[in-house]
Amino acid sequence: MAELLVFGLFFSFILGLFLSLMRLSRFRLLRWTSGAYIDFFRGLPLLLLLTFIYYGLGLVGMETGLRFLILDPVPAAILGLTMCYGAYSAEIFRAGIESIHFGQMEAARSLGMTYTKSMRYIILPQAMRVVVPPLTNELIAMIKDTALASVITAPELLFRAREKMGVTASPTPLTGAAVVYVIFTIPLIRIAARLERKQGRSGAMAGM
Amino acid sequence: MIKLEDVHKRFGSLEVLRGVDLHVSKSEVVVIIGPSGSGKSTLLRCINGLEPIQRGHVIIEGIDLTHRDTNVNQVREKVGMVFQSFNLFPHLTALENLMLAPTKVQGRPKAEAREMSEDLLQRVGLSDKTDTYPDQLSGGQQQRVAIARALAMQPDMMLFDEVTSALDPELVSEVLEVMKDLAHEGMTMLVVTHEMGFAREVGTRLIFMDEGLIVEEGAPREIISAPQEERTQRFLRVVL
Repeated sequence: MAELLVFGLFFSFILGLFLSLMRLSRFRLLRWTSGAYIDFFRGLPLLLLLTFIYYGLGLVGMETGLRFLILDPVPAAILGLTMCYGAYSAEIFRAGIESIHFGQMEAARSLGMTYTKSMRYIILPQAMRVVVPPLTNELIAMIKDTALASVITAPELLFRAREKMGVTASPTPLTGAAVVYVIFTIPLIRIAARLERKQGRSGAMAGM
Repeated sequence: MIKLEDVHKRFGSLEVLRGVDLHVSKSEVVVIIGPSGSGKSTLLRCINGLEPIQRGHVIIEGIDLTHRDTNVNQVREKVGMVFQSFNLFPHLTALENLMLAPTKVQGRPKAEAREMSEDLLQRVGLSDKTDTYPDQLSGGQQQRVAIARALAMQPDMMLFDEVTSALDPELVSEVLEVMKDLAHEGMTMLVVTHEMGFAREVGTRLIFMDEGLIVEEGAPREIISAPQEERTQRFLRVVL
């Protein structure tokens, strides 16, 4: 679970940030490409995506001899999580960037800063604070969705638990797995709620 | 220094500027007044390229902003702007607000930028607020930091867009004082304001705008005491 989570989180946030910047670009082609990507992957069940990447692409790889299409379970799961969660986090980043008052961009530009520098030094640092609570919720969802990787035999928590269940013939391994998930998610749920409350209070001062 | 020729600006079907000509020379303090919607703020925003124009030319120190090859960022370094809503960067301290553009745009060494920024904060009377974040400052203090931030780029001219309109009445004068000092030091200034006292006292020229055109311009005292145009008379009757 840990490696799926760490890599999936890292790559999906990077992908999400790029997609959101493309979505807000003044170039129509970039906006359109990003919008199409986001809509498509938000609309696709992750379970289907994982199955497609692992089994579907694997089959194509074997048929055509394009061996790079045949992925191991863990990389396939990381790829699927990244593609799907990249689309989700893109929308979060976009909302975060758009929540920063346009006067901030104008002030930055009026000081001679380029669009890129204004984004980097002024808009994104402020947007990052705004997106922490929703991204924490993303993290919680992702922790739970790593369980889906068991269908493509990635050795994550649920997969292991089911293996053990076969051996012990008791539901104890499943119960154990449930406890582990909850140990990770409940503190995060609390943290996200607290961050949201805190932001609600200071939100009035944003954009000054 | 600033030359506007036949500037036209449209938002959709709404014509906000309908052919404005304006020349501003060095050390002039040009005060622009007019009813809301007359295009005076838009005019300022066109001068540093925050609003693209549809027709005419904006020429800053000989550089035509409307020309394709003009790097608008280089022009903006020369044109400081202060906004009605302050627009300080809330995630940076007062000092960092000042230091950011000189270090990131002009590539000046941090130590030098810090020293200059501290001097500027002292100049606007806020040397004790260097490490304070904007949300801990009053409106008047924020606006003075914003003026100092624009000055940190060592601009040749400054644009002031209704900078006292969002302030509580008792905080207006501290900002106007800073602007007066600046005018006396010879800064070229374009000031959109409703402060007629400032216009009379500090302005070297007064411009009255209405419906996207310059209706009347001249010496502030003369226009305020004896406006020639009927529209100017009507406006001044209301605000004075």
